[in-house]
Amino acid sequence: MSNLEQTDLLTAEENCAREPIQFPGSIQPTGALLSLDHAFNILQASANTTELLGLSPDTMLGKTIQDALGLELGEQIQQELVSSRLANSSTALLRSVVIGESRFDVLAHDNGARIIVEFELSSAEGSLDSVYPDLRSFIEMIQELPEIERITAVAAEEVRALTGFDRVMVYQFDKDWNGTVVAESRNERLPSYLDLRFPAADIPAQARALYRSNRLRLIPDADYVPVPLVPAFDPLTTGPLDLSFSALRSVSPVHLQYMRNMGTPASMSISILVDGELWGLISCHHAEPRRVASHMRTACDFVGQVVAMQIGARSRSMAAAERVVKHRIESRLLARMAAEPDFISGLHVAEEELLSLVNADGVALLLDQRIMLMGKTPPLAQVRSLANWIATERADQEVLWTESLSSLVPQLQIATETASGILAVSMSKLHPSYIIWFRPEVVQTVRWGGDPRKTADAETGRLNPRKSFETWKETVSGQSLSWSATQIDAANSLRQAIVGIVMRKAEEMAAVTDELRRSNKELEAFSYSVSHDLRAPFRHIVGFAELLKETGGIEADARAQRYIDTIIEAAHSAGQLVDDLLGFSQMGRSQLTPVLIDMNKLVEETLRTLHMDTEGRKIEWKVGRLEPISADLTFMRSAWQNLLSNAVKYTRGTDPSTIEIGCDPGENEVTYYVKDDGVGFNMDYVDKLFGVFQRLHRIEDYEGSGIGLANVKRVVERHQGRVWAEGELGKGATFFFALPRNLASEA
Amino acid sequence: MSNINPILLVEDNPKDLELTLAALERSQLANEVVTARDGAEALDWLFARGPHEGRNSGDPAVVLLDLKLPKVDGLQVLEAVKRDADLKHVPIVMLTASKEESDLVKSYQLGVNAFVVKPVDFKEFFKAIQDIGMFWAILNEPHPMRPRSTPMKVTEA
Repeated sequence: MSNLEQTDLLTAEENCAREPIQFPGSIQPTGALLSLDHAFNILQASANTTELLGLSPDTMLGKTIQDALGLELGEQIQQELVSSRLANSSTALLRSVVIGESRFDVLAHDNGARIIVEFELSSAEGSLDSVYPDLRSFIEMIQELPEIERITAVAAEEVRALTGFDRVMVYQFDKDWNGTVVAESRNERLPSYLDLRFPAADIPAQARALYRSNRLRLIPDADYVPVPLVPAFDPLTTGPLDLSFSALRSVSPVHLQYMRNMGTPASMSISILVDGELWGLISCHHAEPRRVASHMRTACDFVGQVVAMQIGARSRSMAAAERVVKHRIESRLLARMAAEPDFISGLHVAEEELLSLVNADGVALLLDQRIMLMGKTPPLAQVRSLANWIATERADQEVLWTESLSSLVPQLQIATETASGILAVSMSKLHPSYIIWFRPEVVQTVRWGGDPRKTADAETGRLNPRKSFETWKETVSGQSLSWSATQIDAANSLRQAIVGIVMRKAEEMAAVTDELRRSNKELEAFSYSVSHDLRAPFRHIVGFAELLKETGGIEADARAQRYIDTIIEAAHSAGQLVDDLLGFSQMGRSQLTPVLIDMNKLVEETLRTLHMDTEGRKIEWKVGRLEPISADLTFMRSAWQNLLSNAVKYTRGTDPSTIEIGCDPGENEVTYYVKDDGVGFNMDYVDKLFGVFQRLHRIEDYEGSGIGLANVKRVVERHQGRVWAEGELGKGATFFFALPRNLASEA
Repeated sequence: MSNINPILLVEDNPKDLELTLAALERSQLANEVVTARDGAEALDWLFARGPHEGRNSGDPAVVLLDLKLPKVDGLQVLEAVKRDADLKHVPIVMLTASKEESDLVKSYQLGVNAFVVKPVDFKEFFKAIQDIGMFWAILNEPHPMRPRSTPMKVTEA
């Protein structure tokens, strides 16, 4: 078995998992064992009683323990049973006796069915009292220690000092029962295992169950020859004897092989039970066979219990402290978010805090289609597919976490080196928006206590740690460290806070929208009445002035004629202004109905409406091929009307004049332009050009209300486009507008 | 000229009324121009009821209907006319002070025959009224139906 192959090991592990280790039917040879019924009759004895106690099993079986061993011991056991000191299933050290030439520690316990009495050979003199000063100073020291790391380190030192083992390790389980050596005290006879991890299969479930019920086990020599019980089965039940709480219980051959492979023929382990759960083990090894006196084992058990209590207390206070830290981080994150328009922008600037909130290596922020990656994350495409998967398959989950993403969603093939573990929180039920934290594969996070390959010993064929590590890798591939309850709580708390912020912003938006809708309605009513009621008087002024002109009597008076003309003109332009204003307000209010527009056709149509203005003018129209585009026809017509009449208007002094209409198709937008060789404008004033009622020319030079270009701008912006102009005084102007090829629908 | 039925002008604003009448006068149409000052009055006249019961004139050649009217507004008058089996053939031209799209849409939904935004410019206004008069009162061939005042002729065998 020295060249134990991995397959053999796995087989052994499987066998081990099935093995009924609490019913081995044999004990270790360092003592003798008797099994009694509750009338103190001896039902079974270990086969070695003759050599150890001087009484063969045959002479003892069927007798009471008093009859077999003499009055004194038998009575004491009876008394102990009556006082029910033995009934709590833990082995009690009754006394030390000398039988023949050997001294024995007598241990007994009642497993409910049988009373098990064990005579363990005492290896040395000494008592619990002798180690008491050591234990007391240990307790005093350990109470001062704030960190679990220090507590375990001190515990390892203490147990080694008490027992003299070559190596004492503290081994901690994770939630999947994988283990890590978190503390170690050793001499140079055995290699360091500090920081090494071991797969859960190393300690199978029923072994862990025994670790919980029986806190201390000793195997003084892995090469021992098991001593069978006589008879092999309990004569009353005809079943195997339950040796769960026996100190001498024979252990699994697989375990013995494991020990021999590790070069540690002696081992002892003390369970650390925190709040009733198996937290870890104090695991002792020796390069040679080694026995530990029962009083010393009791002292070690005591150390284990003190350590467990301290760890429990520290864990609770650490969890509380961690919660405080998380809250502080969360507050900082929230403060950042509150200052930004959305939570993503706020979190984006707080990478360190965001990662430390849940101790992750990477994080992705997703809001609708925006994705931001920080730290160590899978590539963008993988994050996107992961988010899609969550959105479709886990839509109802507000918080989702796994330590093994690759086994949860193998089809996504997400890089395990960055994303073996994920913790995702959802910000919205309506839109796919998430924070997803990532943790790498755990094998990459192993902190080696030195190069493990150097400890490999091919000569002796020991099961070296590297090989054990390979097994571990096999077991945990694609696994991350687990997310703690505190971390999950912190993520959820952040989620709730963000949802709160988002909700509040949404409510604010809704309020603003309502307000906007109301004021739009008011504006609508206002412009409607303005257009009706303000237009009418202007129409009347014009109408009656015209009538007045025609009724005669003032024809002769040229000055009176001119006054009337002025009245007509003024009222006329006021009426035009009202029309323009109404048109402008309609631009903002009307719904866009985009259709595919033949721009050449629309421009031709528009040019025809301008014939009144162009009569008698020499204008050369150069119209290029204009790309069709999806836009609102009415709006576009008004834009072209404004631009073309502008061009006509401002080329009035140029004769002949050239007006060019063209198009510049881009990838995402199409740019149209109208270029004239008219009066142009000074580029200094280009910003004023598109403002409402902004005029760059004197009103008597060029008619118009100054709202035309504002109208164009509004039309184009309603189409999510851009508008701009270039010009030079006296040389002409070019007006551009660009429309997006894909017009997003209006919210 | 097939008939010389009257033009019904429904207008509440006296200034608009005067201007419209002046425009119509210049169109030199032979049609009599009947005026109504609100929607209710227009309906009474159209349906020959109330004060207009038993009036002599037939259905109008065209109704020039202002959109905004007191009591019963233009749209309601339009609706009542277009719903009436006898009157629905009477052409109605909606005159309005502004080109508010919703009014236009509603008018067309109710079956208006034409929709005219009163131009500020008097010359344009004059031309518009003239065009309307010319088209609806002269060029348009009315629906061949009996004038309201004439009893139906019974074809005898």
